[in-house]
Order: sequence, then C-alpha cells, then structure tokens
Amino acid sequence: MVKKVIDKSRRNDRLAELLIRVGGLLVIVSVVWILVMISRVALPLFYPSSAKIAATVKLPAAIAAGTVLAIGSEESQRGVFTLDDTGTFHFLNVADGTVSASIKVPAVPEGAVRVASAEYTGKTLYNLLWDNGAITSVSVALSSVRNADGTVSLSHDVTGQDGLSLGASSGVVQSFARLVEDKGTVRIDRLAGDRLRVTHQLVEKDLLGNEKRSSASTDITDPLPGHLSAVAVDSKGHYLYGGTDTGWLLRWDISEPGQIRLLDSVSASEEHKGITSLALVLGDVSVAVGDAGGSLTTWFPVKVSGSGEDRRLTRIHTLRSTVGAVSRIIPSPRDKTLFSGDAGEIHVDHMTSERNLLTIKTAASVNRVALSPKGNTLAVLDGANSLTVWKMDIPHPEISFGTLFGKVWYEGYDKPEYSWQSSAANDDFEPKMSLVPLVFGTIKATICAMLFAVPLALLAALYTSQFMSPKLKGRVKPVVEIMAAIPSVVIGFLAGIWLAPLIDKSILTVFTSVVIVPFMLLITIFFWKRMKTASPLQRTARGHEFIAMALVVILGFYSAFLLSGLAEVHLFAGDFKQWLFSTLGVRYDQRNSIIIAIALGFAVIPIIFTIAEDAISNVPRNLTAASLALGASRWQTAWRVVLPSALPGVFSAVMIGFGRAIGETMIVLMATGNTPVMSWSLFNGLRSLSANIAVEIPEAPLNSSLYRVLFLSAVLLFIFTFIINTVAEALRQRFRKKYGRY
Amino acid sequence: MKLFWKTGEPYVLATGAALAIILVMSLALVGVVMSNGLGYFWPRALVKFELKDGTAALGQVTQREKNPINGTRRIQLKVANRDVFGQDFRWIDENDIASRSTPADAVLLERNENGNYFGFLRDVSAEGLTLAAATPYGKLQQGLKLVSDKQDETLKIKKQMSNLNNTAESLRLKLLKLEYRNREKNSAEIGEMTAAREKALAEFTLLNEQYTATQAGISRITARFSDAAGGSKEISLTEIVALQRPNSMSFFAKCGAYLERIRELLLDDPRESNTEGGLFPAIFGTVMMVLLMSIFSLPFGVIAAIYLREYARDGLMTRMVRIAVNNLAGVPSIVYGVFGLGFFVYGIGGSIDSLFFPERLPTPTFGTGGILWSSLTLALLTVPVVIVATEESLASIPKGIREGSLALGATKFQTLTKILLPMATPGIMTGLILSMARAAGEVAPLMIVGVVKLAPTLPFDTNFPFFHMDRKFMHLGFHIYDVGFQSPNVEAAKPMVFVTTMLLLAIVIIASSAAIYLRNRMRSKYTTSTF
Repeated sequence: MVKKVIDKSRRNDRLAELLIRVGGLLVIVSVVWILVMISRVALPLFYPSSAKIAATVKLPAAIAAGTVLAIGSEESQRGVFTLDDTGTFHFLNVADGTVSASIKVPAVPEGAVRVASAEYTGKTLYNLLWDNGAITSVSVALSSVRNADGTVSLSHDVTGQDGLSLGASSGVVQSFARLVEDKGTVRIDRLAGDRLRVTHQLVEKDLLGNEKRSSASTDITDPLPGHLSAVAVDSKGHYLYGGTDTGWLLRWDISEPGQIRLLDSVSASEEHKGITSLALVLGDVSVAVGDAGGSLTTWFPVKVSGSGEDRRLTRIHTLRSTVGAVSRIIPSPRDKTLFSGDAGEIHVDHMTSERNLLTIKTAASVNRVALSPKGNTLAVLDGANSLTVWKMDIPHPEISFGTLFGKVWYEGYDKPEYSWQSSAANDDFEPKMSLVPLVFGTIKATICAMLFAVPLALLAALYTSQFMSPKLKGRVKPVVEIMAAIPSVVIGFLAGIWLAPLIDKSILTVFTSVVIVPFMLLITIFFWKRMKTASPLQRTARGHEFIAMALVVILGFYSAFLLSGLAEVHLFAGDFKQWLFSTLGVRYDQRNSIIIAIALGFAVIPIIFTIAEDAISNVPRNLTAASLALGASRWQTAWRVVLPSALPGVFSAVMIGFGRAIGETMIVLMATGNTPVMSWSLFNGLRSLSANIAVEIPEAPLNSSLYRVLFLSAVLLFIFTFIINTVAEALRQRFRKKYGRY
Repeated sequence: MKLFWKTGEPYVLATGAALAIILVMSLALVGVVMSNGLGYFWPRALVKFELKDGTAALGQVTQREKNPINGTRRIQLKVANRDVFGQDFRWIDENDIASRSTPADAVLLERNENGNYFGFLRDVSAEGLTLAAATPYGKLQQGLKLVSDKQDETLKIKKQMSNLNNTAESLRLKLLKLEYRNREKNSAEIGEMTAAREKALAEFTLLNEQYTATQAGISRITARFSDAAGGSKEISLTEIVALQRPNSMSFFAKCGAYLERIRELLLDDPRESNTEGGLFPAIFGTVMMVLLMSIFSLPFGVIAAIYLREYARDGLMTRMVRIAVNNLAGVPSIVYGVFGLGFFVYGIGGSIDSLFFPERLPTPTFGTGGILWSSLTLALLTVPVVIVATEESLASIPKGIREGSLALGATKFQTLTKILLPMATPGIMTGLILSMARAAGEVAPLMIVGVVKLAPTLPFDTNFPFFHMDRKFMHLGFHIYDVGFQSPNVEAAKPMVFVTTMLLLAIVIIASSAAIYLRNRMRSKYTTSTF
C-alpha cells in the first residue's frame, strides 16, 4: 500500500518534471517560432521566378500553310489561338492539338482581302490592318470555364468592335489606331520611305446633339537622324515614339489634331546601335527601348533644369545586355514587367526593380510571342510551326533588395528617391516600397524620445536610489511603476488630441522652457546654498529636495509660457510658425517630432527609471558606506563610486528603453501625421515601421507584395529588438553575477 | 561657493528636478484626463446669448480663450442642433454679446441621431392620446413615458425577430454543410430544413411588418421645439433618448442625472458611431478577451517560471530561457500582431476553415480576426509578465522551507504543489493582474487580429454554443483610437473619448496598484523571516 503511494508520487514527480521542463523550453520555442512564422511569410519576396513548358502543340497543316499573324493564350494553359492572314481565328486545344473552332472576323472592310498585320492593344483587343490599308478592331475572348460536373471546357468568342474602324489607305507599312477619349480616333501610319502620317477623325457633339465630324491629317516632316527602325504609340494616342537605325529616340506630341510637335530627339545609345524595338510599359509613362547591341533600357520624360516646364526623355533603367539584337519587347499587361526576345531567348525583366526575373530558352527562330491577359502564360510560335505554351510563376517581381533599401527612380520623379507609397487607385501604378523612409522615421522618433527620456530617467533614478528618504522612496517607486502600466493608447491619444494643439498654440514655450527651467534651477541652487548646512530646514529638506524642485519646475514652465508669448510678439511678429516658414523655409506640422519626443519619452521613462533604479540600488551598501566614511560627499559617492559600479545595469536599462521606443506603435501612430518624409526637422512628422504596419496591414491583400513587405518590416523590428534585448540581458546577467544579490 | 559646487549639492538638486519633472508630467496626464472626463456628464447650464447684431445663441460654454485674430476674449459655445446649424460648436466674441441669461425653460434633448438638441418646447401633438398634464413640459414627459412603454413592446418583437433570424441563420449554415457533403443522400433532411427555414423567414417577415406598423404608430407622437435662432423643429418622441431642463434642475437632480449618465455609460450600447451612448460592448469585449487571455497565459507563465526557479540548473539552457523571456517582453507588440495574423488567423484559422467549415468558404469563419486569436496573441505577449512575477515570488520563499519539505520525504512535485505554490499565490496573482492590465491597454496587435469599431453581436450570448470564439469584438483601447482619430466629427467626439480614456486609465491604475500592493506585502512577509 505504502509502496504503491510512493510509486505513484514518484511517477507523478517524474511526469511533472518532464512537463515543467517542456514548459520552460516552450518559451524558447515560442520566440523562435514567432521569428520563423513571420519570416516564412516574408521570404517568398525573394524567391526566384520559374517557368515551365505547359504544352507544345504542332500547328495543324491547314493553319501552318497560311501566315500566322498573331497568337494568344489563356490563363489555365489549356487553349491557344492563332490568327491567319485570311482574318480567321483558329482555336486549338492544347491537350491534343485539335482545332476546336475557326471563326472568321465578323466585319471585313470593303475591298479588303487579306490581313496585313495585327497589333495587340491590350486585354482581348486586336487591331487588324488589312491589305488595302483599312483598320478594324476585334475582341477575342478565350477562357476556361469550370462546368458543374467539375470538368473544364474552353469558351471562345470573336466580336467586332465598332468604335474603331478606319477606311482604306495606300502605301501603309505599319499602322496604329487608337480611340481618343469619347472624341473619335487617331491613326498613325508608317509609310514607305521613313514617312509618318497622323490622322485624327474627331466627332464633336454640340449641346443639341448634332454631330460634327472633322478629319485632320498631318505628315510628320521633321528631319530624322537616320532611318526609322521602330515605332510605338501609347494607348491613349497622345504620344508617338520613333527609333532610328542610328540609335536616336524621338518623341512627338500628337494629342492635338493638326499640330504635331517633336518633343524629344535623343541619342539612345553611345555606340549608335540601331533601335530595333520600342514598346510602352504599362501605364504609358515609360518607353522601353531595345537596340541592335542587345541592350534594353527604359526612358521617360523628366524635368531638366534650365528647360522650364518642358520635360526631356531621360534614360532611367538599364535592364540587361545580351549578344543578339532585341527583336521584340512585350510589356506585361499586369505590371511593369517587360518580356524581350532576341535570337533563341526570351528575357523577363522588371523595370522598377531592374531584376532579371527569368530567361526562357526558345528555338532559334521565333515567329510570334504572346502573353495571356493576366501575364502568367507565354505562348511562343517558332519557325517550325510548333507552338509552346509556358506557364510562368513570377511571385513578386517589383521587390528586390534595391527597391527596398536603395534609391529608385520612379515614374514621374525627377531623380532617384527613397519613397514609400504602397498603393493607389489605378492598376498601372508603380508601387513604391522603400523601407528607408520608415526606418528613418523609426530612428528619428527613437532618438528624439531617448534624448528627452534618458537624462530625466537616469537622473531621477540616481536621485531616488541615492538621495531620497527611504520612506518617500517606498511611495515614489510604485508611482513610477504604475506610470509604466499606462496604456500607450492613452498617452498617444493625449499627445495627439491635447498636447499637439497646446504646443501648436505656443510652440515657443518648448524652447523658452529649455532655457528658463534650468535658469530657475540655478537661482534655486543659489538660494539653497545660502541656507545654513545644519539648519533644521536643511535637515528636513534632505531627502525631500524634489518636492521643492517640483514647485520650481512648475513655476519655470509657467514663466516660460509667459515669456514665449512676449517673445512671439516682439521677436517673431506675433506668429512664430509664419516666421519659421517665411524666414527659414521650415514647414510646421501640428503633429511633429517634438510631440513624439515628449509622448514617446514619457512612455519609456518608467522602464528606464525602474531598471536603472534597481541596478543602482543593488550596488552593495558597503561601497557607499566606505566612500562616505572616507569623507566623500553624498554626490561624490553617488557619482564616482555607485554609478560606475552600476554602469552595466544602467546601460542595459537604456537599451531596454531604446528597444521599447523602436517598437512602440500607438503613440507614433496617433501623435504623428504618419507621412513618410525624410527630414530631420523637429517640426515635421514621420512614419515609423511599426505605425506603418498598423496603418497598412488591414488594407493589404493576403500574400500580396505589400503584405509580405509588411511582414518583412516586422522581421526587421524583431531582429533589431532581439539584438538590443539580448545584449541588454547579457549585460544584466553579468552585472548580477558581479553583485549577486539575485 | 566653490566648495558648494565641489560637494555636488547642486547636482543633487538637478537630479531632484529630473524626478520632479517626471512626477509633474504623470500628475498632469492623470489631471488632464480627469478634468476632461469627469465634467462631461454634469448637466451644464444652457446659456442664452443675445448678440449685438440682434441674433441669439443658446448653448453650453465649453471654453474661453484669446481670439488669435483680434486679441479679444472669445467663448466657445456648444450649440448642438447639428441638423439645423451644421456644426456643434461656434465661437462668440465677448465684445459682440449684448446680454446673457439662463432661461429656465431651455430644454436639452439627447437624440438617437444628429446629436443633442438645445431649444425651447412649444407643444406636444399626440393624436388619439390624452395627456393629462397641464403644461407642455409635463405633457412631453408623460408622452415620453407612454412612448417608452410602447417601445418596450416593440423591443419584445425585435427580440423575437432576432431569435428567428438566428434560427434561420443556423439552419442556413447546416443546410450548406449538408449540401456540401452530399446533396442526394441528405435530400430528405435538406427538404425538411429548407421548409423549417422558410417558415422561420415567413414568421420573420410577419413580425417585421408588425414591428414597422407599431413603430409608425408611435412615431406619430411628436413635439415641436424652437431654437434660439428662431427656427422650429418637429421631433418624434421615439427619437428622444433623454430630456433635461438643466437650468431649472436642483443640485441633487443634477447629481441624479450624472449618475444616470454613468449607468448609461457602463451598461448601454453606443450610439451615433460610438460618439455617444454607452460603452458596454467595449467593456464586455475587453473583459472577456482579458479573461480568455489569462486562461492561456497563466499556466504557461507559471510553468515556465517554476522551470526557471525550481528545476533548471544554472547553465547555458537557463540563460537562453531567460534571454527568450526578455525577448518575449521586449519584442514590439505590433510584431505579435503580425505574427498573430500570419500564424493564428491565416495559418490555424485558415486550416480550421478548410477542415471543418469548407462549405462556408470563401466566407471565413475562423480564418479572420476574432476574439480567440486576439486573446492567444495577447497571451503570448503577456507571458513574460507572469513569468517574472511568479519567479520573483518563488525566489522570495526562503530555502529552508523547501529543504524542510524535502527532508520530510516529500517529492519535489509535492513540495511544489503543497508548499511553494500556495505560498507564491500572491506573487502569481500579481503577475496575473499585471498581465491583465497590460492586455487591457494593448491596442496595436488587436487592431490586426480581431478588434472592430462596432461589433453587431457580443462574443457571448444566449444562442448555442454561447461562447462565439470566432466573433470580432470591441475594445476600450481601440475605441479611444478609433473615435478619437478616425471619427468624422472629432471635436464632438472628444468628451466621449476622454471618458473612455478615464475609464481605461482607472482600470489599469487600480489593477496595477493592487498588484504592486500584493507584491510588496509578499516581499515584506518573507524578507523579514530570513536572516
């Protein structure tokens, strides 16, 4: 019976020990787990892209006999289509290579027999140029549909687009046609002999609904530096780009009917390599230029000093160099990715990040290349009439180490910059995800707060542990500890709603009090000295000095406030903020870094105070006693004996406070304007990493680039605070070992 | 003088001043919150200003200050009547005032919509009702009472409606599940349920008609008011939440009104996108989340502390655990939020959804923020607080007590459960309370993993299974951030936010004072008994 009880309790003991050990280890596990889990979300940002062949189809003889002018594919890599010169779309099943339908273009213009060329104009639209120079637009819809029974079938449709249909014209080599917003059409013809002709056909409606048609045709007569080798037009028909065989890049403004202006004429390559292809990157701001030397660059107009409002085409991104000439550039319909082909290879590069994402090996002779409307499927038709469908996985093309931490020249900017602007209303927006302004904001907020908090907290800790009467100490310490428990949302709210308007009203008080309060202290010290050392008043005051000081401080702040009113009227013409702006050119934000310094400082003071006070108090009493016995004053003892011994502990207190300030979210969120600006000015706001996460993560779609970048910034915060905390803890452990009370 | 500087007395004063600044700042913080929060509910006088240009304004004086433009004194007046004047506040230059008075018959109405109304009662129109009182004000009070009685009836209908709604919703979810599993096999059951659901919905429609009819009947009772600018306004009695004549109230009546407002604050639902009314859902949400959190964090923290103090030998492992504890305490709270989102919400929650509720997808059940994920996230965040406090209390138990127990033949585990833990209870309580205070005030991670500005339902109610762990909830701290910074009319919402802040601050300060008191008592209890 007894044995049974003993056995049972021993068993329990062993079991409990095991459980408790596991519980202890679980603490380590959870820290590691947090890091692993957030890194796991952030890491795919840097995963390489991949492409694999989904299918290869040999074109049936009937189709191969004709000339294939265009090809296309859809997202699930199940179907492809080709367009031949009779104007017939053939839809093919990738799985078995059978033709599931052949549909002729619905509206063939009068007098036209063959299709001369086809231009893909985005989404599902193609412009067809007929042999007599007429142009029609057609929409080709190919998509896979999931049926009720779980099978997948392809649906296809060819519809004519009435909006764009232009009459015959002769001598046309290449032609572009664009719809001009509700106003008509513009047609750009490249004629034989390096000539370009722009024709506007406008329809204007007056108030009564009468239509007025007008047509203006202009031949571009500007002398060209060489022979025209490539032409491109943006999707709105506003700008026309041309490239010559001597490497010059030209840009015309064609938005006004009858008034064609040559805006730019720049040499795109130093060695005068001919431009072999031109294409507009999604968004129509940048133009991609490929030359005979195999280099691929993007250009957009930038304001140049000395040219007034005019913008000059400037080389922005240089993407890659290859051996062969760039024969074609296909912009992705989804983002700023560019697909460029030379003999035998197709390169996938992202413009903003300048990342070479993929290199796809193809047959040496490539006839046609096409992207699916979502940009994840690439169809390649080679010279042997074999059509290859590639499935590509390009997870986060716009993110690279360079875009996260380096200066990037974004579209519309005058120079490379660090910038954070994660989203906008339109799809063709170039996301700006530089973490630098956020890291800068974090550091600025932390430094401001620490400059405010560290001196106050350490001096107060020194006073509390060394000079204060023990009875009072027992009261004051809990007060500061309770201060540590004040929720940061409360501090942030007061800073944003109460303190910011208050300081906004009398910003000068901050500066005058920096002068006045120490001045008042000096005066007090002077009077203090006049008191007899052993007088009863002095004796009671010993250990209670801070109460008198509190009165002095309040008085100091009040007089500083009064003085600032006077100073503002007499020195700054009654309005300091106006003076700041007009004289120093400094913009004043209501929620600025001064507010942050005070609010965030207030939040970390109790932490620094408590740990530092503990450290100073833990210095053995015998050291103090020995120093005092040797005749040192209490300050000399505290400053020269106690503080040096407690230095590691004090240092770790400062570091822990630093770690807190870095990660604090609510205060920074509420007390700043959250503008990611990079300026050291005290009068400007900032945006910190942590506040940025809080602001943006509710809007970030799951697994999008923004979502992962936000996780990455959490990883950064984690690692940063981990280092600081670990060093601080190591210091503290060493300190404890030395004075081992713990 | 030189000696005086050499002994360093001035520096002592300087350090004292640093402490003084800290204490003054803390007191200022508490003072600002109290002065702004406490006064909000006091029925302030409605002052009528006759201006020199012949117009008049009626309202409560909120502040006086120097006009920054012309240097004269000016008064900020809360004139309310947002629907009439467009803005709640206006500034009046003291120079422009011809006379001021406090008319005894000025009425303050709290309304369901558009904030308060300040004005004068003209008459009450109650079709088919006989209101016995002689004065219009008496009639209005009587009418309000009648209306509120009738409102109680409609409330009953509303409750029935919400029950029916719940039944229909749960049937819909069950149907979804059956259909997802196997449509043919469960067709009989599906038919039955569809019928039951349709019946419930039909009943719902019937009740809804009844409700609208009753409501329309009541809202025909109206009262006509006029404001200081001379405009008149017809207000339905159903819109009136409370009625006051602050200028003719006695001190005790004002005290009564004050207490009534506090009751409303603690027990009622918010109105007007949280800027008025009560805080009950936020208080309830905070409390429930904190309690749920303690269930997770307390055992974990206590076990980890026991490991560190009683089982671990001093070595690399212990040092690593200590570093881990410190890092758990030091990692920014927003990182916990991000972790909670990635791991709990999308990781575990997403898996639960695809395993147990695949039929509801893509509508997430657990795969979105909720009270369970919030409390788990915060549990991880507050574990270090429990560990540190428990460890400290275990450390303060004299060694002799352990040795005595072991010498009598008890196993380590028995010593722990029978001797040490009971003695360390105050310390553990300290940790628990501190962790609760921390969790109650933490907002940043919650914003990501499950707090909302307005939750339609509480996470606990009378519908099976009572605790709804997947629901989103409201939180006092988030309420402060949301109403104070995100609401469209921040100026009008400010007093309410100050009240919320005061409440949260009071909870946190009381909790941490209690914890510190417990800890200090524990310290003194054992330190005196050692040599």
